Amino acid sequence: MKPGALLEALSETVVGQHAVLESLLHATIAGGHVVLEGPPGLAKTLACRALAGAVGGSFKRVQFTPDLLPSDIVGTRVFDQRSGEFTTVLGPIFANVLLADEINRAPAKVQSALLEGMQERQVTIGPQSFPLPDPFLVTATMNPLDSDGTYALPLAQMDRFLVKLVVGYPSAEEEVTILERFGGAPPPMPTGIASMDDLLRWRDEARAVYLESRLQRYAVDLVRATRAAHPYLDRGASPRATLALAALSRARALCDGRSFVVPDDVRGVAPAVLRHRLAFNYRTLTEHVDPEAVVAELVASVSVP
Amino acid sequence: MRNFALATDRTSVREGEPFHLTISAHVDEEVLELDNVTLPDLTGFESLGDERRCSASARGTDCVEILTLDGTQAGTHTLGPVTLDAVDARSGRASRFATNAVTVTVEGASGLSGIARSLIVGVLVGIAAAALWWGFVRRRRPPAPPKVPPVAVAPPPAAAAPDPASRYRDLVAALEREPSRARALDVRAELRLMAGAGAEETLGDLEARGALRGRPEELAALRAIERAAFCEDSNVERAVREALPYLIS
Repeated sequence: MKPGALLEALSETVVGQHAVLESLLHATIAGGHVVLEGPPGLAKTLACRALAGAVGGSFKRVQFTPDLLPSDIVGTRVFDQRSGEFTTVLGPIFANVLLADEINRAPAKVQSALLEGMQERQVTIGPQSFPLPDPFLVTATMNPLDSDGTYALPLAQMDRFLVKLVVGYPSAEEEVTILERFGGAPPPMPTGIASMDDLLRWRDEARAVYLESRLQRYAVDLVRATRAAHPYLDRGASPRATLALAALSRARALCDGRSFVVPDDVRGVAPAVLRHRLAFNYRTLTEHVDPEAVVAELVASVSVP
Repeated sequence: MRNFALATDRTSVREGEPFHLTISAHVDEEVLELDNVTLPDLTGFESLGDERRCSASARGTDCVEILTLDGTQAGTHTLGPVTLDAVDARSGRASRFATNAVTVTVEGASGLSGIARSLIVGVLVGIAAAALWWGFVRRRRPPAPPKVPPVAVAPPPAAAAPDPASRYRDLVAALEREPSRARALDVRAELRLMAGAGAEETLGDLEARGALRGRPEELAALRAIERAAFCEDSNVERAVREALPYLIS
């Protein structure tokens, strides 16, 4: 089983969005979490659901709301009247793929509970710690349009996501295909295209993909370029971004059937790795500068080895 | 302006040996050419050619200007920055953009250091003086002043000026002799230059902007040499062997 087969299965369910699906697969193989940003109705949830079904893992979805509590995510302890003891009820975070829908609608306390699990790969309920399933992938969605009543994730928390994918509107042709595919009965979701074992094996293979020293330096230069003085940036990316660049480049190379990384791998994944790790200043707002253009400019300014 | 850079294919050349200076720029607008580009001071260099082209890309225009130069003065020269006066599309204000600078070392035509050259000149002058004295002693009263044989100072050898194609062939031949990553990187750099790649452009960028459209052999060669340049150490030799047929063709 090759990762390409999984991508094909996802493409049969989700119309268009090929770059998003590809990046989702790369992040899954690299063992990182993903945040998808885009207006409602662009198949963000469908893509995550299709991925979970295709790899045969458990899938849970949590709709984040302002009244959500941390225990709604991680679980809680309840008193069993028959045994007279407290028992632990595990929350939806105990799944291979967790979809945190509209993550910025829940307050910081709930976001923190989730992000702690993402980082530590375990959660503590009462006196006991519970390891999360392996693989464990959080796919969070954010809607950039309705910002009223939302709680923006701090940069330090956004840094926990390996990539941020921007989901755009489909083309006219793709929209016609959406009508044909989803106009009647809902299409079948892919199931069991790959197994959890396949996913773990791909992860090991991706770690073994060769990253030549000049490309390591290229990844470092890309991240360091974000830290240089810039009219639209207050702060650049951390070394965690460099690690993310390397991991994701390796996953991209593996999906492309290579055992080594080429400059296009590093360049290709850089915007998704960097865009949510940069602190844009007030000038981007006042001068209506597109942050994506700033990221593209930074990435394009670094010499390729 | 998203990208404005200066690059050279050689950081060390001999006097009279041509090299390329590449100015690459990407602008958001669709333009036919870049106006108001101020080239750097080229004192110590002679311009042999200047090739400019702009091509539409997915998000604007990619422009490349390749200057072919040769060094006329030995020494280390800093070229650049190149500047461009334009209106910043984002701010709407007139701005001056500047590239990085590059350093090129020009060695004397003979390839000898200044000290070595001084020594040779000294020896030649010494020989001439000895010949003069010998002629004077042998013919105390010559009917005519002795004819001093002219000291023949060999003119500098005609500077080899390999064109890009022959330089490429030399590099491929060197790679064939020594299938190493360093040689593969040399060939890749030359191929990229021939394909008009900017310093910040990947092979994917070249394909995306159609720079290799209708040039499948070059694309195949670039792919093959990229594999040799970045694959695992244990596979470099094999990757070079597999790349050579694409490079030679």
